[in-house]
Amino acid sequence: MKRLALAVCAAALLAACGGQGEAPAAQNEQPPVAERPAANPLKNAYFGDTHLHTRNSFDAYIFNVRASPDEAYAFAKGGTIKHALGFDMKLNSGPLDFLAVTDHSEYLGVLPAIDTPGDPYAAVPYAKDLFSKDPKQVNTAFRKFGDALRTGKRMEEFADLRTVKSAWHDIIESAKKNYEPGKFTTLIGYEFTSAPEGRNLHRNVIFSGDSAPELPFTALESQNPEELWKWMDQQRTNGFEALSITHNGNGSDGTMYERTMWNGQPVDRAWAELRARNEPLAEVTQVKGTSETHPLLSPNDEFAGFEIMEWYIGSTTPVTKFDGGYVRKALKDGLELEAKVGVNPYKFGLIGSSDTHNAAGSYEEDSYHSKVGIQDGNPERRGSAPPEGKTWANYKPADNTMRFSTWGASGLAGVWAPENTREEIYAALKRKETFATSGPRIRVRFFAGYGIGSSPITTDEGVKNAYANGVAMGADLIGKADGKPDFQVMAMRDAHSAPLQRIQVVKGWLDKNGKAQEKVFDVACSDGGKIDAKTQRCSDNGAKVDVKTCAYDQDKGDAEISAVWSDPEFDPKLNAFYYARVLENPTCRWSTWDANRLGIEPNPDLEKTIQERAYTSPIWFISTKS
Amino acid sequence: MASSVTGFLKRAIREPLVHFLAIGAALFVLNGLINGPDEGPTGETITISEGRVNQIAESFILLSGRLPTREEVESLVDDFVSEEVGYREAVAMGIDADDTIVRRRMRQKLEFLIEDGAASDQPTQAEMQAWLDKHADQYHLPERRAFRQVLLSADKRGAGAARDADAALASLRSGADPAKLGDSSMLPAAAPLTTQEGVTGLFGTDFAAAAFAHQGEGWFGPVASPYGQHLINVSSIEQGRPVALSEVADRVSADIVESRRNEARDAFHARMRQRYHIRIEWPDPWKDLPATPDPAPKTKSTPEVGE
Repeated sequence: MKRLALAVCAAALLAACGGQGEAPAAQNEQPPVAERPAANPLKNAYFGDTHLHTRNSFDAYIFNVRASPDEAYAFAKGGTIKHALGFDMKLNSGPLDFLAVTDHSEYLGVLPAIDTPGDPYAAVPYAKDLFSKDPKQVNTAFRKFGDALRTGKRMEEFADLRTVKSAWHDIIESAKKNYEPGKFTTLIGYEFTSAPEGRNLHRNVIFSGDSAPELPFTALESQNPEELWKWMDQQRTNGFEALSITHNGNGSDGTMYERTMWNGQPVDRAWAELRARNEPLAEVTQVKGTSETHPLLSPNDEFAGFEIMEWYIGSTTPVTKFDGGYVRKALKDGLELEAKVGVNPYKFGLIGSSDTHNAAGSYEEDSYHSKVGIQDGNPERRGSAPPEGKTWANYKPADNTMRFSTWGASGLAGVWAPENTREEIYAALKRKETFATSGPRIRVRFFAGYGIGSSPITTDEGVKNAYANGVAMGADLIGKADGKPDFQVMAMRDAHSAPLQRIQVVKGWLDKNGKAQEKVFDVACSDGGKIDAKTQRCSDNGAKVDVKTCAYDQDKGDAEISAVWSDPEFDPKLNAFYYARVLENPTCRWSTWDANRLGIEPNPDLEKTIQERAYTSPIWFISTKS
Repeated sequence: MASSVTGFLKRAIREPLVHFLAIGAALFVLNGLINGPDEGPTGETITISEGRVNQIAESFILLSGRLPTREEVESLVDDFVSEEVGYREAVAMGIDADDTIVRRRMRQKLEFLIEDGAASDQPTQAEMQAWLDKHADQYHLPERRAFRQVLLSADKRGAGAARDADAALASLRSGADPAKLGDSSMLPAAAPLTTQEGVTGLFGTDFAAAAFAHQGEGWFGPVASPYGQHLINVSSIEQGRPVALSEVADRVSADIVESRRNEARDAFHARMRQRYHIRIEWPDPWKDLPATPDPAPKTKSTPEVGE
């Protein structure tokens, strides 16, 4: 028994027991509630959300969301909580493995304070307008804060930061309280909400430990993300390690991944290092659409038009510039910039997350509740049903409702880690051994290495070999003068979603003229399908979905698919990146589910079906020449 | 001197005792407004009593850490006069009655006032034990099972998976090495102690139900999942069990405090409702709903997460 207690201590308190040389006895006064599973050296896939808002976010509160960080954790752990419209929300596919509560740091906790009798903030003259049940009034109130954020100037009535400090303290305490090593990881974080002139430069900042600086660095300190990264550098020397994650480049109007710095000068080496050091991840899919690539940026990728969102964030201003807003193009630009300044600023891994403002992610198409409280909490408000007495023949959703109709039931962050502890989850995020999904829990492994192809990763032996002699997603593969590297990829379906259709590898490379190119290769087909050597595409597996019932073919597609692949166009002298994209068979989109439940026609302007997907972090091939 | 005062104030702001005193002062002011020694809220004369001025000065001291200057106290009292006059006039005009925000805040304040300070007292060990005994279900640790499984992949074997599973089961029962049977997969061949909910997440509902329903030793199956046919060997079972108080003391304590607060609030509302005859005139689609509301409505507690 004593040995067991020590083993549990060693696992649970690795840092505390080892690092500080403390005797574990004091930690063991309480009997362990449940024995921790042993760490898996071949790593497990864990699913979580690094982007979630609660009542502490100014907008969420205006949207009538009242759920606290504790309730957000309760939901993520499999509990049931209330939507702002009063219905129950629960995860049908089981609990998540980790969660970061990332409220907007600007005016953090200020709206709940305005709504608290006796609080000094309750005296603001427009307090009454903020707490309406009418979505139109809510929208007006939201604009007051949204517009103020666009300027980056703190509203002077909220200059006193005691409220922010106290809300931030509560968030940290909630993360501490809800952490269950081995079972559920909580991460302390917040959203840096910079949107100069409405162009979205939002980032989520995630801390590694169980404490954080006294106040977050917000867009009211500076809208310039360079200042955020410098602050993060500074905090690191103070003992607070953190990373930042870009999101919704799709709403940045081309400003999220630019080739120039804040001051308009071309990117230089110091800037590239600063960015790469602090920003190792990009959120590529979430409720507000996909930021992988846009059909206009990737005209030869017929799967690029997936859940595309073409507006500014929180506004109906259309995006006019896609270049600079999507990660595939940024990964390519990164190769070009590296050739120029010596460092790749855009060497980031990929994750998905929800960005829910309901304190509860909406990852499932068949139980969608979208993300902004009473604003889009029912089918009529999110454009999947016409108002009472209207039909699609005489009604077309406009303004916000139209925007909401293009949002999606997405996404999740996947990480490969030996066990579910804060240390290991954070380490995986930091080393980019991560993947993104559009909602389903698709598991995907991706490795590259010379000579690893002889031992497929369909077995534990193969995975062991791939880790020992190759590199995993998120890492660099250093080129050799001779030979070609093997790529290994394997994916498994979500038991609660559809079978898989294919795995693709997306390649980006620097051609002989120093210009970045891209190409999509199918590398594994379901149902024994063959890849056409000319088109590099799988034969069609013929999977269909009945949009009237949302039933899909059970005998099409595979539960698991894998491939050992080598690049037919490989050139050892050219720098490149490779990432895997896994596609499910088609299933009903949430808007079709909504319509079917109501017994009406789906909105004719929306896609009726989608192909859910997963994206791995890239592996970068470093050519022998460089 | 100045910096030590600032330091004192910074510490004071974080002190629960100071919070308590500040809230107490606020309540005192509120109570004074409603029942206090000043003239009733409809009188022609408004007297700002010595006690009131002292209160205003004390609030200032509490916030700033020093005595107000003559000008400051004069200005604060003058502001209070405006507030008092404005308040009387506003109430006399009835502009509070149809304002939902004012109404809601009045209710919030009322609930705040009746909240019993004792509700937040740390429950005793005996109270906590009694609570745990009464709500054992809520804190019960669920059963967990560890198992090995062999997959006969539907991708690879199609309809033949079930037949192959029968053959593999016979081999396993006669001692074959499970590592050498079935198809490799990203599914774990062995799962550590896991709840049924956890197994459902990875293997699906049917597999988890079968693994948790099975009694007895050795290999059994085949059991179908979205991945194919499985043979399962449950290697250990940790029975669900009630927890000891020491394992969940913090949670129990927080739950008791929350429950006491809710009870106090509910009791208050029930008492208030007794003073009125309430009749609801339901319009058409809801005509069958009860015309009198629940005489004792209950506050819903925050969600509990089942383990």
